[in-house]
Amino acid sequence: MTALAFKVDSAPDVFRDDFARHAASLPGAHLAWLATRRKSAFAAFAKTGTPTRRVEAWKYTDLANALEGELPPAPRHDGPVPEHGVFGEEGARVLLVNGFVHSVHDGYGLEIVDLSRIDAATPDWVSGHLGLMAAGEDQLLGAVSLALMRSGVGIRVRGTHRLHLDFVNLARASMSHARVLIVVERGASLRLLESHLGDSDAAFANLGIELVLEQGAQVEHIRVQSEAAETLHVSSLAASMGRDARYRALYCAVGGKLSRLDAVVRLAETGSEAQLHNVAILKSGIADITTVVDHVAAHTTSRQLFKSVVGGRGRSVSQGRVVVRPGAVKSDSHQLFKALLLSPRAEADAKPELEIFADDVACGHGTAIGDLDPDALFYLRARGIPEAEAKSLLIHAFLADAIEGFGDDALRQALIERLDAALASLGQAEP
Amino acid sequence: MTALLEIDDLHVAVDGKEILKGITLSVPAGEVHAVMGPNGSGKSTLSYTLAGRDGYEVTRGRILYQGEDLTALTPDARAAKGMFLALQYPVEIPGVATLTFLKTALNAQRRARGEKELDAMRVLKLVREKALKLKIAEEMLKRPLNAGFSGGEKKRMEILQMALFEPKLAILDETDSGLDIDALKLVADGVNALRSPERAMLVITHYQRLLSYTVPDRVHVLAGGRIVKSGGADLALELEKSGYEQVVEAA
Repeated sequence: MTALAFKVDSAPDVFRDDFARHAASLPGAHLAWLATRRKSAFAAFAKTGTPTRRVEAWKYTDLANALEGELPPAPRHDGPVPEHGVFGEEGARVLLVNGFVHSVHDGYGLEIVDLSRIDAATPDWVSGHLGLMAAGEDQLLGAVSLALMRSGVGIRVRGTHRLHLDFVNLARASMSHARVLIVVERGASLRLLESHLGDSDAAFANLGIELVLEQGAQVEHIRVQSEAAETLHVSSLAASMGRDARYRALYCAVGGKLSRLDAVVRLAETGSEAQLHNVAILKSGIADITTVVDHVAAHTTSRQLFKSVVGGRGRSVSQGRVVVRPGAVKSDSHQLFKALLLSPRAEADAKPELEIFADDVACGHGTAIGDLDPDALFYLRARGIPEAEAKSLLIHAFLADAIEGFGDDALRQALIERLDAALASLGQAEP
Repeated sequence: MTALLEIDDLHVAVDGKEILKGITLSVPAGEVHAVMGPNGSGKSTLSYTLAGRDGYEVTRGRILYQGEDLTALTPDARAAKGMFLALQYPVEIPGVATLTFLKTALNAQRRARGEKELDAMRVLKLVREKALKLKIAEEMLKRPLNAGFSGGEKKRMEILQMALFEPKLAILDETDSGLDIDALKLVADGVNALRSPERAMLVITHYQRLLSYTVPDRVHVLAGGRIVKSGGADLALELEKSGYEQVVEAA
């Protein structure tokens, strides 16, 4: 059996051990539906184990090697939280510390469920969705996040909302497995502002995110992952798109030793659209975005634009697989991956893939990896702009089309401040 | 008194290959000088060297601007001191709004000179005023810098910048190439508007056309990395009539 060939034969698997010891005491262990889903998620994971570079989808990011030593579960934190959120005050807010819901500021009529306290009273919309996505063999760490879920939040959206999901990671040498489930009901509209901050030290944050967009639902998702330099972070996101649903996302990764966003977007119904933009800025470690966009239904559209600015010894990874299923005629897909390398030791790996099983589709992809254009740099300097300022202007110009059109002026400003801070630290790393 | 620009026995190498082989040239304030020459004669090397581009290595001789040796100065420091190079191929920079760029550049120069920076409204007013004279539509200022501009629009944008920065020494590197007659006149008008007793211009060109509208005080013929002949405005006409080969050979 080919699955056996991938089996991890090295040291005891940290997740395997955790599941064996704690499965019976995890939240909702007594709920049959959840126990079954956890078990099958774990089975999906266990076929491969913690991915090494031998696993095709992880060939540029060696998670097994990065996860060293004993990592006990991250504790719940009820004390004060230093800093959280990057997108201002307006809107509902859920603050999660070490993956656990710390506080909720709603008052906008959202339904919010703390998954660490999941029990028989949990509403049907949670049991009807939780763990059905981002828990299979195609998202190995997503499967782990469900199997070992200790915390997280479920949210049901009706009407029009702005929601902050503020994650703060304060854990030391530990791991958290959390889930987010967001169900956006028919015709509802959500602006989702997700941030990951924290000063954790060598901790592993593992998050599974399920987004269910019912017919005509609209989600704009702006996400900033900006954790401390030693943090490992994997998010496995799955979105399923109902008829004419629209999902627009801008993901930004500017922190951590290893960060990976594993996103699977299923354009399940006619007329659904997904736009995935990614910005990675790093001078050390790895920032990995790996996506699968699955055109299941006809007349579906996807646009992907990934931009990386890499300095120092950083490495960006951009992998995108677009699948067009037999029924997905008139599908329209495009992906473009671009990386700017600012130092001789910076690296970018880009792998766009297309699998087309339908006729009459429009699919395109492209990649470009290079350094700053010397002609442009000279042009700006010859106009009186000093070198550092000219470089900064060109880097901003490089990122501009990835950010354009997301959020409102204030949100974009807040985001740009974050990105600027990351870019400034990039400059310091330069020889 | 020394001229605004004094080039003395200038030798320049690019990638270890000597391109300029001893140029001596003096451009006093108040004058327009033309440098003409066939392709490959070193015209663009001269303009890039004057602007301070990396990779253009001065191996011998020197460039004095306002009596100061330029060799060690960065391109931006030269710009702040009042030098301006209009490029033959202005660079397209998508993602940088034209107006933002103009403001950034103008204020960078002012800052370097110890002058007060101008606020966005002042810059906008100034730019609008200059743009109007050059028949540059407001819409063009809102677009990303040079992105998708036609050849003529790019050259007009160069002239707009020249008008905005009011340089003491303007170097126009084949700004006339690829322009139709209307655009050519606009460029010439832009150059003529800046002619003054304090300023000097170096017009580098392959053709005589522009020089009918911007009559130079002196014309220098560059060939094989050297100035082989200098003369008055008539020399440009002579070149146009008999071609470079004859003039270069006779020299």
